[in-house]
Amino acid sequence: MKKKVLSVLLCVAMAATLAVGCGGKDSGSSDSDSKSSDTSKDSGKKTYAIVTKSAGNPFNEKEAEGFQKVIEAEGGECIVKHPEAATADAQVSVIQSLISQGVDSIAIAANDENALQASLEEAMDAGIKVSCLDSKTNTDSRQTFVNQAGTKEIGQVLMDAVLDITGGEGQWAILSATSQATNQNAWIDAMKEVMKDDKYSKLELVEVAYGDDEPQKSTDQTQALLSKYPDLKVICAPTTVGINAAAKVLQDEKSSVKLTGLGLPSEMAEYIGDDDAHSCPYMFLWNPSDLGSLSAYTSIALVDGTITGKAGDKFTAGDMGDYEIVDADDGGTEIILGDPFKFDPSNIDEWKDVY
Amino acid sequence: MAGKSGRTIVNVPDKSWKKTLLCWESMLVVVFILINIFCASISSSYQFSSVLREMPKYLTEMFLLFPMAYILILGEIDISVGAIVCLSATMTCMASNKEWPFIVVVLVSLLVGTICGFVNGLILTKFTELPPMIVTLGTQIVFRGIAEISLGSGGSVSLSNTEGFRMIAGKVGTIPYILFVVAIFAVIFTVVLSKTTFGRSVYAIGSNSRAAYYSGIHVQRIRLIIYTAMGFMAGLAALFLTSVLYGANTTTGNGFEMDAIAMAVFGGISTAGGKGKLQGGIISGLIIICLRIGLGQINMNPQLILIILGALLILAVLLPNIGGEVKLKKKTAAAK
Repeated sequence: MKKKVLSVLLCVAMAATLAVGCGGKDSGSSDSDSKSSDTSKDSGKKTYAIVTKSAGNPFNEKEAEGFQKVIEAEGGECIVKHPEAATADAQVSVIQSLISQGVDSIAIAANDENALQASLEEAMDAGIKVSCLDSKTNTDSRQTFVNQAGTKEIGQVLMDAVLDITGGEGQWAILSATSQATNQNAWIDAMKEVMKDDKYSKLELVEVAYGDDEPQKSTDQTQALLSKYPDLKVICAPTTVGINAAAKVLQDEKSSVKLTGLGLPSEMAEYIGDDDAHSCPYMFLWNPSDLGSLSAYTSIALVDGTITGKAGDKFTAGDMGDYEIVDADDGGTEIILGDPFKFDPSNIDEWKDVY
Repeated sequence: MAGKSGRTIVNVPDKSWKKTLLCWESMLVVVFILINIFCASISSSYQFSSVLREMPKYLTEMFLLFPMAYILILGEIDISVGAIVCLSATMTCMASNKEWPFIVVVLVSLLVGTICGFVNGLILTKFTELPPMIVTLGTQIVFRGIAEISLGSGGSVSLSNTEGFRMIAGKVGTIPYILFVVAIFAVIFTVVLSKTTFGRSVYAIGSNSRAAYYSGIHVQRIRLIIYTAMGFMAGLAALFLTSVLYGANTTTGNGFEMDAIAMAVFGGISTAGGKGKLQGGIISGLIIICLRIGLGQINMNPQLILIILGALLILAVLLPNIGGEVKLKKKTAAAK
């Protein structure tokens, strides 16, 4: 009896929701639209969304800021969405929500290459332009990818830095993020590729250690490297968390081992210097804000039809200059922001407050 | 209805209209309607069609709710289900990548889940003194460990052939298949719990497992069946999750167990056992899903959404308690 009443109530509730859901909408936007995407057309404003890897990721937030600035300057509406956790699973919900809202484009820093395919395909079917930035999806799930720097270029500059700091010979080690991290693994592979050249033959890569992008574990791994290899000359950490932890260890212990890699200027400012008191002579990174801006211009160009995401398409990214879409290693296309930027004692002070 | 000991026997059906209208489940229905009105008023894209389209991913957690409600009513808990989903999804993807026929892939998914659940049940029924939370914490780590080893250094596996999964992710009109599957299982689990001796035994065990044992209920057999069913449903959830994610990785299924428990508790099912109805859990599951979709559409900070859900959950457990205390005070006052 009770269950019957309950199920009747439930049915009524469903029906009521339907009525309210549709009714509320009808009265709300009256005569104009039957599709949610029309809301943006009403005001003549396009809506551009950016989806980050997770909330509270400083690098991603800089990207989102750069993205938002450009979109708003160009007169568009910007939506910045953070998933509730740093998983592809959480990003799926975010994408689904954006499809419902009828946005014009989605730029996403993917947490997994393949897991977003079903939802991003659905987005593209709904006429939404999809591009990636920072960390890409597979080729079926995107129209193009805004790459911070070519993998080869990063491998090259890091190897040259190691060669330069060691003085041309000796032992060196890598302190990476997790053993599965796609970006880091690609860069390490690129470095190993570069190392085959005769120029680097006197360098000996003793170990690739994994600090899992956790400060404590990265610290432990650095200390382990120091005790295992007394002749170690250089540690190269292609991850912002790892380089920060290693820099602190080396500087605190007044170690003669030097450091280079990819790091955030704001976190690394106190460790960068040419003398023995500082552990890191110089390091690299790209400008996340520029990456976000370029991604914004890419989204705009995709939406207004200037580009379709095919290799050879060209567009102008405001005052950042002209960019061309090129073929990527994975068979898709990409837009490369430029060479990684070098931070050394001469410029670190002006950058440390930027990001 | 007070027994000799002065204890009230739970789950004696009370059929008066007033009681029905004032029960927790009816209140949840009202909340459900209010939430939908609220969501529709804050977001212009909150429509029947968009809710249905966003639903499938959230609905996978509903599969876990049904058996989880049984386990909570038993007075126990299973925190390994997220890991079972992870392991089952991993095996499903690997089976699919071996180019096995889709029906075999489906069987693998269900079988892996069922075996994991059976293992949980076996340990818990063979060594009855062990607390379920600790045992399932252990198996959670084991299942996730196996999944991570199978996933290898890459930490993720992707479907090379998505055909079969595209099929189960399909729709009838605007209604996704998964909604029908959820509905069917909702009916089965609800009827079994409220209309059969099996269901009554579950309540009996939850109220007092020793008394239930002495009155001739096969306590251990029932526990084994329920834990195995939990595994089976986790396998089913993994299957549908794979059809959304086209792959599995080490984070797949993270937190699913807690979401399922939250839905059940919000629905009025007591973690102390013996109390609550599955209907309540189902409605509260729908409430949580609708709220997430609605707040997501107005681009609210996801952490804020989690805070709201957490606050709602505490409120949900608090309300009946406050109600109970007021009643108790009245009773003592009347006795004086």
